[in-house]
Amino acid sequence: MATAPQTLAHRNRRTMRIALLVAIGSLSMGFASVPLYRIFCEQTGFGGTTQRADAATKVNVATGHTLSIRFDSNVTPGMPWKFYPEHRTDTVTVGARDMAIFVAKNMSDKPVTGTAAFNVTPTQAGAYFTKIQCFCFTEQTLQPGQEVRMPVLYYVDPKILDDPDNKDTQQITLSYTFYPVENGKKPS
Amino acid sequence: MKMVKSLVLAGLLAFSPALGMTQTAFAQDNAASAESAAAPVAEAAAPAAAAPAESAAAPAAAPAEKVAPPPRMKPTEGIGMPMPGEITIQKQFTDTGRQALWMHDWLLLPIITFTSIFVLVLLAWTMYRYRRAANPVPSKTSHNTLIEIIWTVAPVLILLVIAVPSIGLLADQYKPAPKDALTVKVTGYQWYWGYEYPDQGIPEFVSNMLTKEKAAENGEPYLLAPDNRLVLPAGKPIKLIITGADVIHSFAVPSLWVKMDAVPGRLNEKSFTIDKPGVYYGQCSELCGARHGFMPIAIEALPPAQFDQWVLSQGGNPKGKAETPATTAAAAPAGAPAKI
Amino acid sequence: MTTTTANPDDFHGSHAHDDHGDHLPGFFARWFMSTNHKDIGTLYLIFAIIAGIIGGSISGLMRAELAHPGIQYLHAWAQMMDGPDASLDQAYHLWNVLITAHGLIMVFFMVMPAMIGGFGNWFVPIMIGAPDMAFPRMNNISFWLLIPAFVLLLGSTFVPGGTGNGAGTGWTVYAPLSTSGSAGPAVDMAILSLHIAGASSILGAVNFITTIFNMRAPGMTLHKMPLFVWSVLVTAFLLLLALPVLAAAITMLLTDRNFGTTFYDAAGGGDPELYQHLFWFFGHPEVYIMILPGFGIISQIVSTFSRKPVFGYLGMAYAMVAIGVVGFVVWAHHMFTTGMSVNVKMYFTAATMVIAVPTGIKIFSWIATMWGGSMSFKTPMVWAIGFIFMFTVGGVTGVVLANGGVDDVMHDTYYVVAHFHYVLSLGAVFGLFAGFYYWFPKMSGKMYNEFLGQLHFWVFFIGVNLLFFPMHFLGLSGMPRRYPDYPEAFAKWNAVASHGYEIMAVGMLIFFVNLIWSLAAGKKAADNPWGEGATTLEWTLSSPPPFHQFETLPVID
Repeated sequence: MATAPQTLAHRNRRTMRIALLVAIGSLSMGFASVPLYRIFCEQTGFGGTTQRADAATKVNVATGHTLSIRFDSNVTPGMPWKFYPEHRTDTVTVGARDMAIFVAKNMSDKPVTGTAAFNVTPTQAGAYFTKIQCFCFTEQTLQPGQEVRMPVLYYVDPKILDDPDNKDTQQITLSYTFYPVENGKKPS
Repeated sequence: MKMVKSLVLAGLLAFSPALGMTQTAFAQDNAASAESAAAPVAEAAAPAAAAPAESAAAPAAAPAEKVAPPPRMKPTEGIGMPMPGEITIQKQFTDTGRQALWMHDWLLLPIITFTSIFVLVLLAWTMYRYRRAANPVPSKTSHNTLIEIIWTVAPVLILLVIAVPSIGLLADQYKPAPKDALTVKVTGYQWYWGYEYPDQGIPEFVSNMLTKEKAAENGEPYLLAPDNRLVLPAGKPIKLIITGADVIHSFAVPSLWVKMDAVPGRLNEKSFTIDKPGVYYGQCSELCGARHGFMPIAIEALPPAQFDQWVLSQGGNPKGKAETPATTAAAAPAGAPAKI
Repeated sequence: MTTTTANPDDFHGSHAHDDHGDHLPGFFARWFMSTNHKDIGTLYLIFAIIAGIIGGSISGLMRAELAHPGIQYLHAWAQMMDGPDASLDQAYHLWNVLITAHGLIMVFFMVMPAMIGGFGNWFVPIMIGAPDMAFPRMNNISFWLLIPAFVLLLGSTFVPGGTGNGAGTGWTVYAPLSTSGSAGPAVDMAILSLHIAGASSILGAVNFITTIFNMRAPGMTLHKMPLFVWSVLVTAFLLLLALPVLAAAITMLLTDRNFGTTFYDAAGGGDPELYQHLFWFFGHPEVYIMILPGFGIISQIVSTFSRKPVFGYLGMAYAMVAIGVVGFVVWAHHMFTTGMSVNVKMYFTAATMVIAVPTGIKIFSWIATMWGGSMSFKTPMVWAIGFIFMFTVGGVTGVVLANGGVDDVMHDTYYVVAHFHYVLSLGAVFGLFAGFYYWFPKMSGKMYNEFLGQLHFWVFFIGVNLLFFPMHFLGLSGMPRRYPDYPEAFAKWNAVASHGYEIMAVGMLIFFVNLIWSLAAGKKAADNPWGEGATTLEWTLSSPPPFHQFETLPVID
């Protein structure tokens, strides 16, 4: 280390730059975690995130196994909607498509737009619960007093039958929570 | 700096005169706030009976035949609640609770006690044996590969002994409920709990903390006792589906080894079977704002026949699968009390 | 302003190194524009002592309120803070403000500044034979950023934060309680305070890493560095990797609060759990940030007072590296009750328990260092031995909590409070006191009073154990954290804990008496008051060291 002071200052600056780059990288990872977390949840069903498929998806329906599906509905406090499933529970054949109907009614005298957050329990079933069509994919606007029946088209992926983590899963609960879309509050 | 601390010390010693005054103010204020919290609910449900000993929330739709609810169960000292001066985990009333309690009391506690005492004895012996008077010339040893390997491998083995049952315990605790389990929807609000029985057609009713006077009148522990309890059948599998309305709460009942966060915008589930009838108390276990400490939980486990009677008294259908009342049930969250 | 006695006038001519170049700047330039690592270290220590007094007094308020069931003083305090018509809800909110402030102050403004800013600044350059830190001006900025951060945090107490004044979110600042649940500027101020404190720490980390990598004296290889330097190096890396994640997490909290984003709001497709993941990705390394420098200090002291080199030096150094690395992959054990799937819990259970292995290596290596030694029990050594045992007790309850299935009954109860106070309040703080007594003669040039030091230890030791041990009982029997009031059943152990606080407070009085007495009338300290066991470079300098040391670099063989 018996080098000229310029050299030390130079090396110090280089180390500092590397260290700051590491810190900036770490900061970027913090922000990048938002999309990464979403992708991770969507890919793995983490936290009971459901899967999405288009109508053309073919699945093997000859499983013969059935599962009970429960539907749960919530409206965030202060949102003037009634929102409930037409049937509380349903029994579906694993692999077969089924449709559930949720009913929403705007109880206020103003149009209200809502968007729904959702997940399934038990969370390990998220990777297999697949929606083809859902009112939760888009925002819903209800006129004053308007009542709508909203469909969810879904199936349970037969791969669930081979998953040891789901061997005890007999009932999957699909839950929705409606939130109003307020001015300026855009989905991130 | 030290002044503040000595002030606190002085305060501690001399608190008694102030106690009486603040206590009274507290109780009154609390009663008032509990009422205001409950008020909006009355719109959705018929006005609840004023009698404090009534566990029933009045149903919205009057049942065809009037069935009296079973009498409000008296809690048993030492069951489902902490005991004065207790130093152990509460007695458990679920299978997985007992399994976990065994794991704590007979595996973890002995290991950690032994480890701590071992380190203490080793320290004490070393301090005694190698004090300067006893050992004036220090050794120069600073390596011993064998002993280093031993104190790396031994903890690994101990941890393996812990990890194997620990993983098994988790698997048992989070085994999903069978599909015929009684399902109850639990919603955490600032600052009370809401319970709904979707299959029995019992709409959501809310559970507020009892004031000190009312708790005393009921013979229940203050700060643990709410007005309406979560009524469940004993001996049958139960599935709670849990969510939060505003901020994160946590539904916790220590004597059933149950703790599950109530997170807004997502649903969690927790399954268990309660061994025997009784009252099991719990408290919110995630900081949720000002009255975090004042939204207790009480589970009243009834024999199945009495549970059915209770369901009937609420206008519900004990056989389940009631479809029509679902509408009213869904309306309840919308009409639930707003933030205070 | 009590410990500012590193006054170079005391040692003119006492040592060969200070023979020239000690043109002391004036008072303002010296203390406000300081670029001297020792002066900045002193400033950090003074700051930490002041913050510790405030944070400790807040815990005194909490123990006073919790001494008996019922609400005793909280309502009156709320009336003092929020006006005479403060409601009971405002009083409860004040409780949350107290727990939040206590946590944030102790973590960010007491332990971290004292460990890293104080002792790190003072002794890392000296121990590696460097004349100063790599970036002296940046060092100064790091310190002075703490002042506005602290002022913002204290100031937040006086502005609206939801139900009452102040930020009542807990130190974890979980969304949505910290977003939609806390209207008013208090939480914004607290978040900004964390931003600034974080920036200060990141700059400090960069400075330490550069200093340790580039400015070691000839012959001072990485594997010859004293373990305290190793501990600060590992800590600096943890800071560098963990704090930016916190910065990102709380920046998104801020935009969620003020600019309509919904990163953590399910209403807009966000997820409140994401905040917890980010927070604990920072938060778990953060606890090692607080304790690792303590490990380093204890290693120096045990070696010094056993008159033996540290046993298993390489194992000790790499155990700290291992703790740092594993510390980044265990965060979700703080989230066992959030509804994660069972496989995830199993992973985090197993990963967390792995940390016990390098921690065990450290404990046993300290004992092995004493083994065969010739031990003297001066005050620093007594604190160090206290540290080893108390940290063991805190560590084993951590193994209990690591079990996801067992944690279900303990999460968010006083058992957790007991656990982290045993590793921090009895671990990190014992490390701080050990280091303070160990280096006080070097820093001030005066000896502390040995009797008062020993008395401080015993009173404090009894006090904190009486304070925190009963919390295990409370937690096991089910008392939740962050409650201003509790059922009668919890009265006994809460009363004991409050008495423990009183005893601890007496211990602190003894400490301050000792501090003031020693500064004013302490005996002059020798260059090396600890004898042959003290082998690191700071003991080759005068006490206190010259304003500029090592103008000729020492050579390590």
